[in-house]
Amino acid sequence: MCIVYLIAFLFSLTAEQCFSKLIEDSSQSFMERMSTGKTSFVYFGNHVNPTIKLFMEQLEMSADALEDYGISVVKVNCSKDAIANYCTEEKLMTKAYLFRGSEVLRNFDIDTVFDVNAIVSHVLFSVLFNEVRYVHTPAELLRVETAAKQNSDIVVGHIPVLGLPEHRALMEAAFVYGTKYQFVQTTGSLVLKHMGVVDSSSSQARLWFLHCKGVSRQSDPCPSTPMTKPLNTINIHTFLQLMEAPLVTEAMLDPSEVDVVHMHLGVPVLYLFSQPQTQHLDQATAQTLALQLRGEVGVVLIHRNSPNVKTPLKYNAAYRLPQEDVKYFTLNSGEEVVKLFKEELLQEHKLEDEEEDEEHWSDPDILDDEVSESVYRDRDLMLDLESVVELTSDTFQTTVTQNGITVVLFYFKWDAVCMAFIQSYTEVADALEGVNGVQLAAVNCGEWTDICSDQNVTSFPTVLIYRPMSAAQLYRGMLGTKSLHRFILLSLVSSPTHLSSSAEVKSFLEGDVYSKHVYLTPVRVLGLFSSTHDKGVTSFEEAGRLLRGETILGLFAHKEAEQWVEGLSVNLPALLVSHGPGVPYEVYSLPSSSPTDHVALIQRVELDHFPELTVENLPWYLELGKPLLLLFIGKEDSTESTKALAEIKQPLSSGQLDSFLPCWIHLGRTPVGRSILDKYLGFVPPLPALVMSRLKTGGEVFLFPPERPLMAKNVLQWIHDVENRQEQPAGLIPDGKWGPPVPFFDFLAIMDQEAPTYAAQRGPKTKTGRREDHREQKHVTPNQRQTSHTSQNPQAPRQHSEL
Amino acid sequence: MSFTGAAVVDGLMSLIQPLFRLLCVLSLVLASSGSGLHGCNNSVSHEYCVLGAGPAGLQMGYFLSRSQRDYIILERNTGPGSFFHRYPRHRKLISINKIYTGRRNKEFNLRHDWNSLLSDRSDLLFQRISRELYPNADDFPRYLSMFESELGLKVKYGADIGRIKASDFNGSQGYVLTDQNGVSYQCSVLLVSTGLWVPQQVDFLGSDLVEGYESIPTDPEEFKDQAVLILGKGNSAFETAQSILGRASRIHLYSPSPVRLAWQTHYVGDLRAINNELLDTYQLKSLDGLVEGRLEDIAIVRREKDGGKRRTAKKRSQTSTEGKGQLYLTLTELLDNQNGNNISKVTGQNLPGYHTDNFSLRQPYDRVIRCLGFRFNFSIFDGSAQPPQSSGARGRLPGVTAWYEGRGTPNLFVLGTAAHSLDYRMSAGGFVHGFRYTVRAVHKILEQRYHNIAWPATKLPISQLQSWILRRVNEASGPYQMFGVLGDIILLRGSYCEYLEEFPLQALPQLFALSGRPLSDHGLLVLVMQYGLNRTDTLGPGRAESEWTKAWRSNFLHPVLYYYNTLPTEKDMRQRPVGWPLPRPDAVHHMVEDFLTEWDQPISHSQPLRRFLEHCLQTDLRAFYAESCFLLSLTSRTPPLFCRQGYLRKQGIVGNGHLWQHAREAGLMADHQGDITPRDETSVSEYLKHAGAAVVSTMNFDL
Repeated sequence: MCIVYLIAFLFSLTAEQCFSKLIEDSSQSFMERMSTGKTSFVYFGNHVNPTIKLFMEQLEMSADALEDYGISVVKVNCSKDAIANYCTEEKLMTKAYLFRGSEVLRNFDIDTVFDVNAIVSHVLFSVLFNEVRYVHTPAELLRVETAAKQNSDIVVGHIPVLGLPEHRALMEAAFVYGTKYQFVQTTGSLVLKHMGVVDSSSSQARLWFLHCKGVSRQSDPCPSTPMTKPLNTINIHTFLQLMEAPLVTEAMLDPSEVDVVHMHLGVPVLYLFSQPQTQHLDQATAQTLALQLRGEVGVVLIHRNSPNVKTPLKYNAAYRLPQEDVKYFTLNSGEEVVKLFKEELLQEHKLEDEEEDEEHWSDPDILDDEVSESVYRDRDLMLDLESVVELTSDTFQTTVTQNGITVVLFYFKWDAVCMAFIQSYTEVADALEGVNGVQLAAVNCGEWTDICSDQNVTSFPTVLIYRPMSAAQLYRGMLGTKSLHRFILLSLVSSPTHLSSSAEVKSFLEGDVYSKHVYLTPVRVLGLFSSTHDKGVTSFEEAGRLLRGETILGLFAHKEAEQWVEGLSVNLPALLVSHGPGVPYEVYSLPSSSPTDHVALIQRVELDHFPELTVENLPWYLELGKPLLLLFIGKEDSTESTKALAEIKQPLSSGQLDSFLPCWIHLGRTPVGRSILDKYLGFVPPLPALVMSRLKTGGEVFLFPPERPLMAKNVLQWIHDVENRQEQPAGLIPDGKWGPPVPFFDFLAIMDQEAPTYAAQRGPKTKTGRREDHREQKHVTPNQRQTSHTSQNPQAPRQHSEL
Repeated sequence: MSFTGAAVVDGLMSLIQPLFRLLCVLSLVLASSGSGLHGCNNSVSHEYCVLGAGPAGLQMGYFLSRSQRDYIILERNTGPGSFFHRYPRHRKLISINKIYTGRRNKEFNLRHDWNSLLSDRSDLLFQRISRELYPNADDFPRYLSMFESELGLKVKYGADIGRIKASDFNGSQGYVLTDQNGVSYQCSVLLVSTGLWVPQQVDFLGSDLVEGYESIPTDPEEFKDQAVLILGKGNSAFETAQSILGRASRIHLYSPSPVRLAWQTHYVGDLRAINNELLDTYQLKSLDGLVEGRLEDIAIVRREKDGGKRRTAKKRSQTSTEGKGQLYLTLTELLDNQNGNNISKVTGQNLPGYHTDNFSLRQPYDRVIRCLGFRFNFSIFDGSAQPPQSSGARGRLPGVTAWYEGRGTPNLFVLGTAAHSLDYRMSAGGFVHGFRYTVRAVHKILEQRYHNIAWPATKLPISQLQSWILRRVNEASGPYQMFGVLGDIILLRGSYCEYLEEFPLQALPQLFALSGRPLSDHGLLVLVMQYGLNRTDTLGPGRAESEWTKAWRSNFLHPVLYYYNTLPTEKDMRQRPVGWPLPRPDAVHHMVEDFLTEWDQPISHSQPLRRFLEHCLQTDLRAFYAESCFLLSLTSRTPPLFCRQGYLRKQGIVGNGHLWQHAREAGLMADHQGDITPRDETSVSEYLKHAGAAVVSTMNFDL
């Protein structure tokens, strides 16, 4: 019946697309629909833009597909029929809803249900919510197995990316076979490893059949058969048919006359011939082979004692590939047959696929370095250095002394990292064009090697900041547009800013002076000394010079300085840190020490206590070496996110989280955060999600249970549980070594093969002479003249030859 | 600067030498008799004595002066480079003085400037003196004078050292040099840069009838209508032939080995194309020619007009030189068993033409000229101070160790042309453009041995190694000129490495002693420039290789990297594969020869090099954008090296959306826009455009 259903369905896919099944509802028909209790997928829109137009086309196609599952696809034009709640929704246009009756089963971003495959897969997955189990961890899968043992078999689908055709194929199969088998869907790589997949990095969808029904004891594991073909409706159907077929078919006919389901499904068949005297042994062999080849090859055991079997006795086995004749052979061992099938007969198609994949990176002429490749793809672009002055040996000295600030980039044209950075560098130059006293320049070290050596540049790219009358300052920040731009603008602020009255201090911390540079950084650091004669002042000033461009640093050396630390448990000299107006100041005592120690202290106190981690600031925080308490919040700034942030922030002041680095990642601003979650857990949990990552100690990752409310006290309890080993890690950060990504091209091996003696060391007897012309050495030197050779060579004149 | 058999000291001076020697012996007698009045008994002591103010001597003088060492350069003539006042006889230097390279890289430009000496003064280049591609020989001593005076080098002119003996200075061997005035110089270290200037001679019957290259007239008119036999087939022989090509009636060149063309052998001491006009007149049958045969077997005899049975040669005898009779080349074995002095009685039967009627050299010559090059002057060294004769180069050179110290003469180093025995007929060590670098290398060895200053090394993080190698490969002149002889050594030390420039490769087993740089258990890399197998026709098809996977078959100069886990031993070095500069390594990487000598292309040069380095270092050396490093830093306990040495030190390479898009389209950077990867049409067509472009460039224009 299933087959009929499936085939019918396939026809419907191809044939019925010409007329639309998409229903347009008025408010009245919508109300009626709500009362029927049927399942429907509804989109509310009010106008059409190109994106929506594409979506409507996909929606229309999905109407045909979903009809087969009894789900109607509906659109409502809100400009005509404004349906309460849905048409007034803020997210109108970008959402679609799945109803059962009047109940909303789920809503979808139209980004998620972007095409027909995505719509069908997501809708079916929601409808089948109770039938298809969703698991993230091997433990969850084991629970499902335990429940299914002796009861039903399990179909496990690993779908790395939801909404693609593979996902749809699995959901459709689940709809058809859902009552027969327990369906399990997983997206995580943990389950993948559990199922014995070595290379979990590939994003290929996979499927396994777990034979749980036939398990004799509860303690036995369910044997599994992987599906080797790509995940699509036909292949899944074929595979499930094969799983149903008997392991070994016994027959009394010649191979060409045996009819097994495998032949109809386009699967090779292996025939084994059995003698009456060895029947039991042969049956056992057939069973073993069948288990090994399950899902790929059908096994038939033919009893020779039947007169219908006419195969010559010299053969004991045969096989038949689809659309081919039976081939007979003599079998010596079971392994041989498995090998024959796995390595030869079944490889044809697979080889091609693998080659494509493998060869891609091992092809020596394809760049596998993201920076090199992206720069290489720009090779037809002329480098536009208009706003950057190219310096030469003749102009270098004059240029760097001419401007208030000359920023100089030292680069190589052939270095991809330099050329990637130079794009950012010109962006900065363009942005700063017209800023007085700032000049951006560049030195091509491939040409002006003398300048680069003179300036002691040994690392590329390097950015040095020159000011008249002072030594060049090395730019130590991120090599990116934002960071460098900010650095240069901050460099224009004198460091430290000398403040002479409390009023100026006030302005520096939150007044006019503050607002002048607030767009660069909200943090202000102030050195407080009781007088300018304080010994620490010079050291602090030097630290200020070193931090120029990185920090806005004030210096208040005045008798009034005392006021600013009054009532705080700190004496002068002190360091006052402000993270912006409204945030309470922090105060640290400033022991007299070297400028570099001051620098280290200032850099440390500047750090946020609950930072938003971004690509550009992570290194500052990782340096602390603490386990991360990492909150991931979604793209949309929802109240949930704000609440979660506040909940974590709450215990900060009490110092209960001091052994951690509490921080957060905003997936909208830092989309790579999603990949981090996925790598940590193998799936992306609902957001906001709280994760503890012990990067430096053990590498375990713990997930705050999504079902528990994200509240300060729960979080503290959870941390407590984690520390007491009462929580299971949800993932493990690998400690793999980063070896060579691709094997190198072994010239020595090639030499040895193509010119065997070329690269071989000489034997000990060989003369040690170099490549000199030995003929010369053989000649007698003038002093050791010999006359004896005359007689040896009576035809001497002939010796003189004109070559 | 190349000139075969170049020498530093003027040939004429050899005549005066015995006189000086006599004077000195006299003065020594006087000195020993206790007379303090004579100037000869002065004794001066220096840490370093440099013998000879030629290019090598001045070059060493510069380095000693820069490191503020106590040194003196002793020169018997009144100015530097006096060899070049006489040689080359026809006054044209054949060393390339290429001023216009299209580049402003000073290091790179030295690859094409064969005359300048090294200094930190960028204006002290030879091009200040001459702008000719092949300059006049007079310009070279002028250049040397300028070099000496502008750098204020300490040269003592007019000090003719007649005798050198070894002596014990506080337990180590030093040298005492005595000049013509009896002044003795006590030298802890002696640097011999006297060049090669004694004309090489071969003893055969009648060699007294032969004129030498050193004294032949250079006016072509003197050769008018003369038949000339030149012994030798090197540059001086061809240079001489070329100068008289328009006057002489017939020029034959005779020597044991066939002509070796520099453009075929890549050895600048072989015949340079600038001197090879005679090859033309030979091959186009214009009465000139080349003949091979042993020099030791021949005899040159004069047949007087009345000495033989002459009947028919009257006309011809009138055209020959004024009544002196003509010279015949014959073989010692054909002369009657008398000794060679009796050549006046030469008869027809003593000549090869009598026995073999078509003998090539049967016609008489008006002149026979010897152009056999020069040899080192061993005569000034006392037994204990004398380095042995080299095994190669017909014993014309002093034998030296791999670090240019005389064999058996500790603390005596040989510099310049005289030190060519190590790379004779292989590389450029006998020529200014080569030995200026070996002199620098020797100076670094001196600094380590006598002052404990280790070989200069640049400390680099491993993530910078690849770009540093590419920089050297694309500009360094030392390894380029001294190919196969000097190479850069990279001592691997885990997360960083030390980069030593231009170390003498043959001395690799003694690396630690000579450089003061110990080896770690991470092994070492050696970067060498070398020519290839050279088994194909130099101008024929297939001479150039452009496929990087076949780089080891490159024929032209190209960079080669050798990787050793442990330092090769001397035995390894002795038994190295035939034609190799170094023993078989644990891994080797050839960078494919490049028509433009620019090894900077991402697919053919950089990436293969990176993969080789990755193999040697057993680490991933790929570069990553900050975003990838962010991901890897949070999801891997040890992120890749590039992230550790860049991003995590706050120096990440951020890039921009445009570059990320490229990387994402190439599948190298993850897309994080959610669990859905929309594929739009534009990205595909973009990809195809690039893929198409990559296919086009496999054409080989180097054929």
